[in-house]
Amino acid sequence: MPSTELGASAASPRSSSSVPFSGPTESVSVAPANTPGWAALAVAVATAATVGLLAVVVGGAIGRPDLAGAVAVCADLIILVLFGAVAVRAGRAQMQGRAAAESDAQASHNQLQKLIDNTAAVIYMKRIDNGRYLLVNREWERLFKVGRERVINLTDQGVFPPELAAELRENDLWTARQGRTVQFEETAQTDIGPRTYVSVKFPVFDSKAEPYAVCGISTDITEWKQAEHEARTLAAELETRVRNRTAELEASNKELDAFAYTVSHDLRAPLRSLHGYSQALLDDYTDQLDEDGREYLGRLQANVARMGHMIDDLLNLSRSTRVELVRSDVDLGAIAHEIAEELATADPHRQVKVIVHDGLRTHADPDLLLLLLRNLMANAWKFTGRNAEPVVEVDQCERAGETLFVVRDNGAGFDMRYADKLFTAFKRLHPAAEFEGTGIGLAIVARIVHRHGGRVFAEAVPDQGASFYFSLEGPMNEQPGQAARPALVGAK
Amino acid sequence: MSTSQAAEAPIRAAPNDGTILLVEDSPDDVVLTKRALRKNNIGNRVIVADDGEQAIEYLLPANGKPIVPELILLDINLPKLSGLDVLRAIRSDERTKYLSVVVLTTSSEEQDIVSSYDLGANSYVRKPVEFDNFLEAVRVLGLYWLLVNQTAAHTRGTAE
Repeated sequence: MPSTELGASAASPRSSSSVPFSGPTESVSVAPANTPGWAALAVAVATAATVGLLAVVVGGAIGRPDLAGAVAVCADLIILVLFGAVAVRAGRAQMQGRAAAESDAQASHNQLQKLIDNTAAVIYMKRIDNGRYLLVNREWERLFKVGRERVINLTDQGVFPPELAAELRENDLWTARQGRTVQFEETAQTDIGPRTYVSVKFPVFDSKAEPYAVCGISTDITEWKQAEHEARTLAAELETRVRNRTAELEASNKELDAFAYTVSHDLRAPLRSLHGYSQALLDDYTDQLDEDGREYLGRLQANVARMGHMIDDLLNLSRSTRVELVRSDVDLGAIAHEIAEELATADPHRQVKVIVHDGLRTHADPDLLLLLLRNLMANAWKFTGRNAEPVVEVDQCERAGETLFVVRDNGAGFDMRYADKLFTAFKRLHPAAEFEGTGIGLAIVARIVHRHGGRVFAEAVPDQGASFYFSLEGPMNEQPGQAARPALVGAK
Repeated sequence: MSTSQAAEAPIRAAPNDGTILLVEDSPDDVVLTKRALRKNNIGNRVIVADDGEQAIEYLLPANGKPIVPELILLDINLPKLSGLDVLRAIRSDERTKYLSVVVLTTSSEEQDIVSSYDLGANSYVRKPVEFDNFLEAVRVLGLYWLLVNQTAAHTRGTAE
């Protein structure tokens, strides 16, 4: 995990790195060492740095800076390990004090110094006993505005504010006590503001295997931290927005509820009075009314009744949107039989053959399904009114792997040219004088089907009948809106 | 207020005379309901309370004799106290808790139906728009609640 943290940040400073090549090295002394050691280190560090750089470049090119970062961090770790090994050798070499190798060692040392000077990471080494600096790289000098010739006499207290210095010292001592590589997140003030670093620190041991110094490589992760912060802020904002939207939606749903309630109650009440008083006129003043007068009152009543039905249908339309959809296993056939009985009771003068096929089962909201089927069957019932042998059929079929239920009739049918108008509220394909209706029934059907994630369509031939097909599940059993409905389990 | 009174006065129901208490704020609905009763030859005395507060004053008066109706026809949307508030008061007082209450309203909203039954309504009837349907509903209501049905309040009233 830390590797990705590092990686994300490591990418940018590296890729934008333009640190000039270091000038002649000063007297910062990692003491003289044996030549092979320095050479090996130089090669290893060079390799590691190259791998890191390559990783960043390649990672950037393939659009995976995270991967690049991970590889870059690995490279850093390789540098660390090698650096540690070399430092140990350096320590030993110091003990041996071979003057003969000194010039070679100086050359290697210069190479190493160049390497660490040309990385975007901040590299430094400090003594454990008194906290004084042993070595810093150019990036360190650049950031903290202290030259290497001066820093070797300083501790963190001489460079950083007391609080930060104390923290850094504590981290160094902790690393020494641990005796292994430890990672810290440290923040330092620079001339471009506070920067956050991931500092990988490791102890450097002397010949007696005692740690005498702590070396650190700090990688700037400020950008990454900012990105992380921004991502977090964005996520929080998004969450707030979702919450607000939900609240708005709930509020508008409540408004819709209130509206529906008003429609249900307040709009119907005057209709009742209109109907009642005209009936009172017909009853009590019938001898004072002529034929026309009575007919007008009858027409008034018919219109009032029609408006009552429209209000009821509008209520059903709004209800089919508002109510929570709760699916359960439903016997569609049983519902169809129930509706057939209802229709026959309400219209006892007509003989309609209703065929409900066996095995019509589905998984849907039973209340909404009843409303859907009632509208379709009432339509079929109504539009077979002029047929001498009316038949209404409820069945199911498979089309291209999709289960479709169908309500079929041999009634008036309609011209398929107008099929697209069928499911829009208040659109009617037949004059009201021929077949009564509010034009809302099929809009209710469509809404219920869509809420179930299914589809509805009709096929018809004028004067031969119509078939209304509907499914109650989307393709591949995807049911839109369902995921957000955990209440699905709490069946009613 | 009603509970403290119940503690003071012994539970006493006035002899039941088949009174119908119509709790209804719309004068038109009052006229038409009375007409529907008359048309169905239901000659029982009808007392009208035109809001919830008045209904409670009639049923649970602070002083004086309460009305003990045979049947309460209760609208829900009322000024001041709603029909549901009235129903709650009726069911929570010893003197009125067994009265027959038929909610007779325009609303067909599920929430109203459920709340009414939750609060102990005996029946819920939605007033139809067409007057002939309303006549029929009133006829059936009168027949059942005034003739067929026997209430606890009724029993207590005649036993005295």
